[in-house]
Amino acid sequence: MTAIRFRHVAVFAAALALGLASAAVDAKPKVKVGFIGPLSGGTSSNGIGGRNSADLAVRLRNADAKAKYEYELIVLDDECKPNIGVLAATKLGANKDVIAAATHYCSAVAITTVDVYHKFGLPIIVWGAVLPDITYGNNYKEVHRVNGTMINQNETAAKFMTGLGYKTWAIIHDTTDYGKGHNKYFSKFVTENGGKILGTFGVTSDQQDFSAELTKIKSLNPQVIYFGGLTPIGVRIRAQMEKLGLKAQLEGTSGIVSDTFLKGSGPLAEGVLAFREGAPTEKLPGGKFFLEQYNKQGYSDPPEAYGAFAFTAMTLILDTIEAVGPDRKKVRNALNNVRGANAADSITGKVDFDDNGQNTIAVITKYVAQDGKWTVWEDSEYAKGLRKLKGR
Amino acid sequence: MDVGLFGQYVMNGLMLGMMYALVAVGFTLFFGVLDIINFSHGDVLTVGAFTGLATYLGLSKIGITWAPAQVVIVLLVATTCMAALGAVIARYLVLPLKAAPALNTLLLTLMLGTVLHEAIRLFYPLGANPQRFPPLLPTTAYSFGNFTLRVDSVMLLLAGLAVIVGIHLVINKTKLGLAIRAVAQDEETAKTMGINFTLIVLVTFAIGSGLAAFAGILHGLYYSEINFAMGLLLGVIGFSSAIVGGLGNIYGAIIGGFLFAALQTIGVLAMPFASAYKDVFAFGVIILIMAWRPTGLISEKISERV
Amino acid sequence: MSRARAVFAVLLPGIGSAVAVTVYVILLLAVESQAAIAALLVAGVIVVLAAARFGGMARIGRSFAERENAMNLVIVLAVLAVTGFFYEDHFVLLLMATVIIYVIACLGLNLQFGYAGTLNFAGAAFFGVGCYTAAVLTKHTAMPHLLILVAGGVMAAVIGSLLILPVLRTRSHYSAVVTIAFALLFKIFLEVNDTLGGPQGLPVDGMNVLGWEFNDNIEIGEDFEVAFYVNYIVVGLIVLALAFTFVRRLERSWVGLNLDALRLDETAAACFGLNITRWKITAFTLGNFLTGVAGALYAMMLGFIAPTNFTFGDSLILVSIILLGGIGNPWGLVVATTILIILPEKLQVIQEYRFLLFGAMVILILLFRPEGLLPRPLRTYLPGWQPK
Repeated sequence: MTAIRFRHVAVFAAALALGLASAAVDAKPKVKVGFIGPLSGGTSSNGIGGRNSADLAVRLRNADAKAKYEYELIVLDDECKPNIGVLAATKLGANKDVIAAATHYCSAVAITTVDVYHKFGLPIIVWGAVLPDITYGNNYKEVHRVNGTMINQNETAAKFMTGLGYKTWAIIHDTTDYGKGHNKYFSKFVTENGGKILGTFGVTSDQQDFSAELTKIKSLNPQVIYFGGLTPIGVRIRAQMEKLGLKAQLEGTSGIVSDTFLKGSGPLAEGVLAFREGAPTEKLPGGKFFLEQYNKQGYSDPPEAYGAFAFTAMTLILDTIEAVGPDRKKVRNALNNVRGANAADSITGKVDFDDNGQNTIAVITKYVAQDGKWTVWEDSEYAKGLRKLKGR
Repeated sequence: MDVGLFGQYVMNGLMLGMMYALVAVGFTLFFGVLDIINFSHGDVLTVGAFTGLATYLGLSKIGITWAPAQVVIVLLVATTCMAALGAVIARYLVLPLKAAPALNTLLLTLMLGTVLHEAIRLFYPLGANPQRFPPLLPTTAYSFGNFTLRVDSVMLLLAGLAVIVGIHLVINKTKLGLAIRAVAQDEETAKTMGINFTLIVLVTFAIGSGLAAFAGILHGLYYSEINFAMGLLLGVIGFSSAIVGGLGNIYGAIIGGFLFAALQTIGVLAMPFASAYKDVFAFGVIILIMAWRPTGLISEKISERV
Repeated sequence: MSRARAVFAVLLPGIGSAVAVTVYVILLLAVESQAAIAALLVAGVIVVLAAARFGGMARIGRSFAERENAMNLVIVLAVLAVTGFFYEDHFVLLLMATVIIYVIACLGLNLQFGYAGTLNFAGAAFFGVGCYTAAVLTKHTAMPHLLILVAGGVMAAVIGSLLILPVLRTRSHYSAVVTIAFALLFKIFLEVNDTLGGPQGLPVDGMNVLGWEFNDNIEIGEDFEVAFYVNYIVVGLIVLALAFTFVRRLERSWVGLNLDALRLDETAAACFGLNITRWKITAFTLGNFLTGVAGALYAMMLGFIAPTNFTFGDSLILVSIILLGGIGNPWGLVVATTILIILPEKLQVIQEYRFLLFGAMVILILLFRPEGLLPRPLRTYLPGWQPK
């Protein structure tokens, strides 16, 4: 009897000691931050890359003994669908424990959720969506973006392509705001630079068969097919171009700069062009550090093209919370102050927000798919004249 | 319109029609023997395509890279596996509900379809992403003006045709086919004549599901890409084709399949300003046909006992 | 005196169970840890099974059967109690409002599947018609928002009437294909149609009744704030109460009797002089109306809608709810909707697997309990009358 009682006491004491010990370790107050991206569906590889990168930022901070808080990352999936994104944003916004968030790869989602963040007063930093209106279409103090917009991307693309001597284009774009935006800016810049658009085709974002559109494009016989859309239909269009014997050069946007596009298209990806704002990850100021840390954590998927931006966004959020404390309004105001002399250093270079919370990114990288890799144009065999693009 | 372009449209339409017809034949076979709609058919097709892809990857790993051998093995493995899956579905999910209202079977198979494609999405490595399907057939292309004819497309079309003719022969010229037709006509009488009803149902499901796997591989080879969600629309289109043709009638299903593809292609040709509406147009016409001929173009013979 | 006591004795199991369920739901919604949620769920299942085993369910059922009005009131109070408990928790309230709206939509489908036996696999499409009607009307007209709810319903009924001819002429599988084709057509149409927002979707204004902005939090005093979803819960409850009473009355009336006859045997019903066409149209149109009303309310609450809200898969979920609840039993719907909406949200572990699990669950139900969780009870000639 006494033995049993004694054992109870011992267990109780042990539990108490353990509790105290863990409490001592956990003495830091807990703070929640959010991440939203497409974790399922055709663009999930980009979303998962971004998620891992944001997670990396949180892990590094939690491992840092000097950090004032212990952070918990709340991850939600927007499936790259506007309506799901609104629900996810509501979930984060309504949760008062969440102080700030890094959100959205898909422009179509981001453009609809900014209202929600504004309503709930949740400061966010967009890490991948490129539609200009996300920051410029409103005056919301809550909305910031570390990556660039599609305006510069398309300007560079148009100049570069006309510079190569291409004259005629056919445009395929998805009919979300993302695809429409690309169509708008690219059409504008390419005509300004002397190019001619023979036809424009809107397609839905889960279309399977493009033979109708492509057959028509074939009769128009353009030199270049410009595709403003995301990876899943990009893969299909590339494959079906081949089936129908189209000889035009395929030119994509940042939406197809992903390993999934290369894997999905296999050898057909060879020679496809795409443009993305910001320098390639390995060439970023902190790119080496980022990739090293990323690989150290043993994530099973690569960071993809926008991982570095997700890391930057989350790091900036954590820095700000460390500086002003876990309070949405204070974090919001502090983020709006990240400009000019206060510009923050990050692995992607200086982060300098303008009045709309838009970071200034001057560099646009031109990519060409070469031997199953997105290769920077200047380093590629195409630029050196060893291989030739199509349609010229 | 120039001839080459027209030829291209016809070729696109034929290819689509072949796929739809293959799926529709499965629906109609199931309906024939059991009077049920097996809505998981489209997703069985998806599973078949993924099985084929997995087989291909496995073959490459063990060093078999000779394309003709790969095609044959991929087809064999995928059709056999799906035939087995079809029989299992019939035995453990469909037959137990034989006495229940039609709605229950319909729902059960719809949900089974969800389970199948969700399982691919969740458990196939990176299953949510579109997967590249390797070009296993020769890709030589001949151009006639605006018309590009690829050897692999022709081979796919011929293979599809051969399978349809094969099915026709099995149904009409063999003892097995006789038994299937007997069960389709009257279960009771067929049983009295000594036909093993359960066995025939299982075999029919195996044949139909094997066809779906074949269509899935066809789809993969033609589009060079497969994804977990491709079965839903294909299934519904196949089903609509079977219905339009008149359930239980193989020729109806084939006609229905090509009719649907023709509608889509005509939709593109007739409305050049709105090619995106081709599916709206096709489904709209299907609804109209249903209003006009409520039991399909070649109607099922109804003798209802009240 | 003794009569009052008798009434009380009848009501007691019902009220008792209502209180117990209320407390249980509050607990379930309040706890965060996955282990606690799992434990609660297991406990809940055990209690229900035990109650069924020892005849508790029958007693509760009797309370509901004999004193329906009183029990309806109790349920409304219970929902209000849960709402009050979570007055500032946006997300929980959003979930509750969603459940209420889905129940309204399913009541509509229940009229079609459960009473008249007409198949409708385009539930989400008619729901979507209501949503888009609300989106267009709030943006471009000054129509009072309560009227927009009605307009959403009317629009769904009107669009549904396009399908009446094919639905009337076809039977079972063939009529299923008509609605399935429509469900797909509707979603594709929305995606390719630019004027309705295309795949991008449309923003919808929040509800505003007599200057009361539904999408603003209700602030009382300095720091007492009530989440704005409470507005929608209240309106949803009112609409639900109306719809529920209507459906129950309909079921019990000679109309319901006609519909039952129609479902059980069309030919026999026709022989007894029932006008099949008229009753099928009635059920189909009324059902779509209710679904559309629910859609309009949902759109205003969510503030944003897109075609991906209204896929064929969503239609299937609606049908699963009906089937899981027990075809034809409105109470079953309430239980089934609550389970299907709240469970995946609370049990984060299964979030990603939700469609897989829904599918597997419905298959199991069809195989082993095809009549659903709460099968429709036999029609009683007089409410509360019991064979002695």
